[in-house]
Amino acid sequence: MVRSKKSTALRVTASYAVLMVFSLIALYPVWQIFNISLRPSNRLLSTSLELIPANASFGNYVALFTERPFLLWMLNSTLVSLTVTLTGVVLASMCGYAFSRFAFIGKKIGLLSLLVTQMFPATMLLLPMYIMLVQLHLINSYLGIVIMYSATALPFCIWQMKGYYDTIPTSLEEAGKIDGCNEFQTFYQIILPLAAPALVITALFSFMAAWTEYVVAAQILQDTELWTLPLGLKSFESNMGSEWGLYGAASVIVTIPVVVLFLSLSRWLVSGLTLGSVKE
Amino acid sequence: MNARAALRAAVGLMSAVIVLTAVITADGCRTSGDDRIRLTIWHQDRIDIRIILQRQLDRFMQTHSGVRVEQLFKETEELRSGFIIAALAGQGPEIVYGPSDQVGPFELMQIILPLEESFPREWLAQFDPKGLTWYKGHLYQVADKLGNHLTLVYNRKLVPVPPASDEDLIRIGKGLTTDLNGDKKTDRYGLTWNYTEPFFFIPFMTGFGGWIMDEAGNPTLNNRGTIDGLKFITRLRDLEKIIPNEADYNVADILFKDGNAGMIINGDWSWAGYQNAGLDIGVAPLPQISSTGLWCAPMVSPKGFSLNANISDEKKALALELIRFLMSEECQMEATRELYTMPTHLGAQQSDFVQRNEILRNSRIQITRGRPLPVIPELRAIWDAMRPSYQAVLAGTMTPERAAEEMQLLALRRIKEMNE
Amino acid sequence: MQSQTFRHRVFLFILVAPAFVVLFGVVIYPFFYNIVLSLSNMNLRHIRDWRIIGFGQYVKVFTEPSQPDFYVVFVKTVIWTVVNLFFHVMLGVFLALVLNQKEIRGKAIFRAILVLPWAVPQLIVALTWRGMFNYEYGSINLMLTQWFNLPGVQWLRQPLEAFIAVIITNVWLGFPFMMVIALGALQSIPHDLYEAADIDGASWYHKLRHITIPLIQPVMVPAITLGTIWTFNNLNIVWLVSNAGEPSDQTHLMVSFVYKAAFNFYRYGYGAALSMVIFFILLIFSLTFMRKSKATQNVYS
Repeated sequence: MVRSKKSTALRVTASYAVLMVFSLIALYPVWQIFNISLRPSNRLLSTSLELIPANASFGNYVALFTERPFLLWMLNSTLVSLTVTLTGVVLASMCGYAFSRFAFIGKKIGLLSLLVTQMFPATMLLLPMYIMLVQLHLINSYLGIVIMYSATALPFCIWQMKGYYDTIPTSLEEAGKIDGCNEFQTFYQIILPLAAPALVITALFSFMAAWTEYVVAAQILQDTELWTLPLGLKSFESNMGSEWGLYGAASVIVTIPVVVLFLSLSRWLVSGLTLGSVKE
Repeated sequence: MNARAALRAAVGLMSAVIVLTAVITADGCRTSGDDRIRLTIWHQDRIDIRIILQRQLDRFMQTHSGVRVEQLFKETEELRSGFIIAALAGQGPEIVYGPSDQVGPFELMQIILPLEESFPREWLAQFDPKGLTWYKGHLYQVADKLGNHLTLVYNRKLVPVPPASDEDLIRIGKGLTTDLNGDKKTDRYGLTWNYTEPFFFIPFMTGFGGWIMDEAGNPTLNNRGTIDGLKFITRLRDLEKIIPNEADYNVADILFKDGNAGMIINGDWSWAGYQNAGLDIGVAPLPQISSTGLWCAPMVSPKGFSLNANISDEKKALALELIRFLMSEECQMEATRELYTMPTHLGAQQSDFVQRNEILRNSRIQITRGRPLPVIPELRAIWDAMRPSYQAVLAGTMTPERAAEEMQLLALRRIKEMNE
Repeated sequence: MQSQTFRHRVFLFILVAPAFVVLFGVVIYPFFYNIVLSLSNMNLRHIRDWRIIGFGQYVKVFTEPSQPDFYVVFVKTVIWTVVNLFFHVMLGVFLALVLNQKEIRGKAIFRAILVLPWAVPQLIVALTWRGMFNYEYGSINLMLTQWFNLPGVQWLRQPLEAFIAVIITNVWLGFPFMMVIALGALQSIPHDLYEAADIDGASWYHKLRHITIPLIQPVMVPAITLGTIWTFNNLNIVWLVSNAGEPSDQTHLMVSFVYKAAFNFYRYGYGAALSMVIFFILLIFSLTFMRKSKATQNVYS
């Protein structure tokens, strides 16, 4: 069937226009933050619409690395975030698979309980969480943080993986069985690659959960040497008299790994369901 | 691959995760394996003070080789709630440092220790009484800095002589407020400040004769001072038009820094920042209200040290020594010279530097004209009660008289709720 | 046969157990602690010597005349959630569809830019937005007055405008997440379905409604459900943009209410009861939503 060239061209142009408009909307406030990092003397706001501030300099970026242990915070955050990402991907991919393919007692309750864990306003959980972590000697340790972050990110990741697995026809597993694979092989070699887009989302989400989380980290990590990036950033802030220049510079730098991660994972955001894998 | 191998693969993956976690928890052990006695101070000081504090702590550690002192910064609200949570769980830092209004809730929760037995009377006598926070008959905090007070900060280029009265203020303000480029928008204001926040309204309430509570701690918000103060501020904005339409802390700050406001009402924490921004600033006491003859009196608060009730006996003696060190004249003057903080040590207060330096002189005058920050926990309820009605007046949806009434009612209710 | 079922069971166990052990280990204790607290009188006066008093706190939550009013806050929270989710999902799915077209070049750049609102640290971006809403100096009013000749809006001083301002900020922050999910979801749809529809001469609307939307459902539904729960409980944005409830304590969600009660007034018992109420509201919502969308079943079945 032939689509008229004109209507395709129209559609494509309109699409580009839409993307440009939204890109501008997405970019503008972020550009303001970049401006904050360039302005001298800690100016959070500006009274003009100028795109590059007067007296712009990269001094804050230099100060970030020379006057503060920013590199240390980055290292700490990277360590924690990668662990949480790995844990998230491994656990969620397996757990989601179980919920998708198998029927078992407590399945419905299990799924619902995943949701339930998210429904509590976090503020009220701080005191019992702290008490619990003190008892378990997990205060001031990364193990405590990794556990907490995984617990926060897992429900969404599990559910989301399950949803994605649900879109993969079970006929593929049957084909696998006919070919002589056992259950784990079918899972690992056939189904998992097809669920790549969902793994991308799981990885990104878990990473973000650990990379940007502040409240739990603030409660658990008491040593400044263990500080993750959000805690470090918070130290630039004081009730009145925040160091906005440094905060802005740090914010810009902190955003970059996330975008890089997203871009590098994006190449797996492709359709895995190819023709010919199963003959209908 | 058979099932056994599959199992092994799964176990292998999980082990990888566990190993990684173990690696990073070993990371967490970086800080232990050091058998010096550890003391921690939690505070909410901005970076300039932190740097000085670290220098002083390093000196202390040099003379006390068996001790390791660490400082941890937490933002004010988090310091309070974080310390409460930690202390209730039996943990927390040995020393907590902050403004005096922390003492009220901490005392009630019994998470800080009375200090009057821990320091000899002669030692305590060295300090300005305003720096010793007594509450319910006990000494709970010893402060090395006095201040946190609002003052009138002015840009000398725009305001050669600061105003002494409210009429002066308006006159100077009007002279400065202009539209510089003819676009019918005011480009420069005479005065700006974070006027939407009750703490920054207090000086005007007091200037017109009011105060937030009586000696017993009951709120007295429904008073003439509140009403007239509110009227004054709306007058500045709507009639005289010398203050911007909407200004929170950051907006006011930026206007002043950019030279788009001649004067700002801000506290002692901000002076160094303005100097670093290249402004030639002067600090003056807040003006006198001509109609009442009263000086605008901001709240003044000491910032000091309290001991965690969970502190072990072994650490207590050391912590007291550390406090004595940080409270010494030498340490106090270090901060004073660099940051213009007002020391509490009487000797330091009499020093040449403090007596002669212009900023400190004016700061002192303002402090003597100020009123102490109440320590009682109900203060929070009062702030909270003031805010809604105050902002309603600013939004034009409530009259000042009604607002004063509402504030009082809400304060009473909140206090009741807190104390059930 | 028996050993096969056993292996099957073991496999299942290995898949599920680790995740759940972590989850419940972390959540169960605080949850029950909170239940106990909600039945207690823990507050400033009874911080160590608190005792169980029954449902008194719950009664207070529902009947105590509060400022702002509990029911008003509840309705506001619901409106906040619904409006946010609506725009998040609409914009997210829309942008994903646009971005997913094969004719679009430079996908990487667009993806990088469009994900920025999610990637940027929330505190500073929320404060930046707050600055943008300033009446005199904020970019939004500057643009309105200078480019469109419209009068400036008192974004932060009037309750309705302030509410809209926080919603705008949160929509901006939240659409990338839905967009990423939708991008992932779109990959699960086999191309041959679209080709078959094209052969049948189906319009884009028809394809959207009968192929795309049903097939991205299994992946979108968890995101929407959890998105709803998170948005309902999102304290940060409202707190930061409105500077803790301004004007006049009108810009509050139920969560910020809990926060104020617990952390500003030390009413831990009351805060716990309020949290439980929020919890039950969300539980009822989720149960209903899940049943309606049959999210626990497979899509091809």
